[in-house]
Amino acid sequence: MKRMEEQTYYEILEVSPDAGLKEIQRAYDHARETFHADSLAIYSLFSEEEMRKIQAAIEEAYRVLMDEALRRSYDQSHSHLIERSSREKQVEKPVKSSEIRSDLSFTDLSLETGEITYRGRSLKQLREKLGIDLKAVSAETKINMKTLELIEEEDLDHLPAMVYLKGFLKAYARALNLDPQKLIEGYFQLFQEKGKK
Amino acid sequence: MTRDQHQRVIWTIGGGKGGSGKSFITTNIGICLSKLGSRVILIDADLGGANLHTFLGLLPPVTSLSDFIKKRVPHLKDALIHTGVPNLQLLTGAQDLLNAADAKSALKRKLLRSIKSLESDYILVDLGGGNALSVLDFFLMSDGGILVVTPEPTSIENTYRFLKSAFYRRLRQAVSSYSAKSLIDEAMDQKNEAGIRSPYELLREVRRINEEDALKIVEEAATFHPNLILNQVRSKKDIEIGFSIRSACQKYFGIQLHYLGYIVYDQDVGNSIRKRRPLVLENYRSKAAQCVTEIASRLANSHRMNPGI
Repeated sequence: MKRMEEQTYYEILEVSPDAGLKEIQRAYDHARETFHADSLAIYSLFSEEEMRKIQAAIEEAYRVLMDEALRRSYDQSHSHLIERSSREKQVEKPVKSSEIRSDLSFTDLSLETGEITYRGRSLKQLREKLGIDLKAVSAETKINMKTLELIEEEDLDHLPAMVYLKGFLKAYARALNLDPQKLIEGYFQLFQEKGKK
Repeated sequence: MTRDQHQRVIWTIGGGKGGSGKSFITTNIGICLSKLGSRVILIDADLGGANLHTFLGLLPPVTSLSDFIKKRVPHLKDALIHTGVPNLQLLTGAQDLLNAADAKSALKRKLLRSIKSLESDYILVDLGGGNALSVLDFFLMSDGGILVVTPEPTSIENTYRFLKSAFYRRLRQAVSSYSAKSLIDEAMDQKNEAGIRSPYELLREVRRINEEDALKIVEEAATFHPNLILNQVRSKKDIEIGFSIRSACQKYFGIQLHYLGYIVYDQDVGNSIRKRRPLVLENYRSKAAQCVTEIASRLANSHRMNPGI
């Protein structure tokens, strides 16, 4: 039972201290979705001021943990707190949240929800932030490099029609642990805006 | 999970509001557990309108807990009703126990002991939607408290209100000093003079007056693990609300909620209730029945649920 000010960045985002970038990204998306003004899950619980405080803490935690140098320095300066909280977690939480998710067959669900939609460029930014090479995505998804580049560049003139593109988008989203639907929706909007089918 | 020599586990189903599906869930989970070969007793303690018998397609029962209280039957087991489902029995009238303002706490404790001594593997108690003190006590005394919530603001608001009442009651039972107990009582009023708006602020105030009680509060928060079932979900986004509620509880109460699972919105549920035939018997292939079955098997396999909820 710690106030926000006492929690480590890992506790704020509800990830373990050895979480990878993908996990942190997912946790951040989840936290942002949970703690925004219109979120149903926080209804009647927090005051506006408390919400602002939580949101600011989430943004700060994300900013630091996604940056390798900042994270290293944070880990060093907070090593005593991080070790202790991770020990406490073992005592308090015998079940890891990830275990609960798979146990509940929630694994087919991604944590990104709501207003967050991805398109080509934002997908590229995210992939680069996660430090994943496009070649790795190509190897995992069996989609050729040219098509992946066209997806990231949002080059609608040279991409296949949406009906064929869906499969590629789905595979690409899964490679980054994102909700495929969000990417498909983002692209669908793109096609609509440009008046293509 | 705490089990005594009979391997009995008591789950209470409460919180939320009327219509969120507690009785439907209690009945159908009970049937699923009985189908797995366990002995199950359902206890109807819904103050707002006890009607588990209707969910089971039974007529209003002729025997109830009152018969035991008024000594018309010698043992509590004689007040149980056979439901027609193998391994599944029903006890009605427990709302009288919870509702009775004049019922002495000694009597309540005795009755609770009798309930706990019933020969069964699982006891599921439908508490209904209220948050009377007796209901909270029952919720807190069980091996696992399960909250049923639908993805609607009204249901979520009521669930948080129930959770806050249960949590503060638990804290009140744990602290020893009179001053800490009074502070907790005061904190229950959202517009209290001490300006306590959240459990953290309560902890801060208790720490000022009694460090030992403050430590007890921290311990209680660390071991309070209520469970959550999200009912009537219609989309993936709805399912995610369960995870968000878990995060919100962690940030607001500092407690770890256990998201047991979700049940999809399914017209077959309404149809089964109208027919007075439990869904898992009437249409076990329906989507909602599959969700219930999954939750029931998870409860049956559960060996993680914490003793103090």
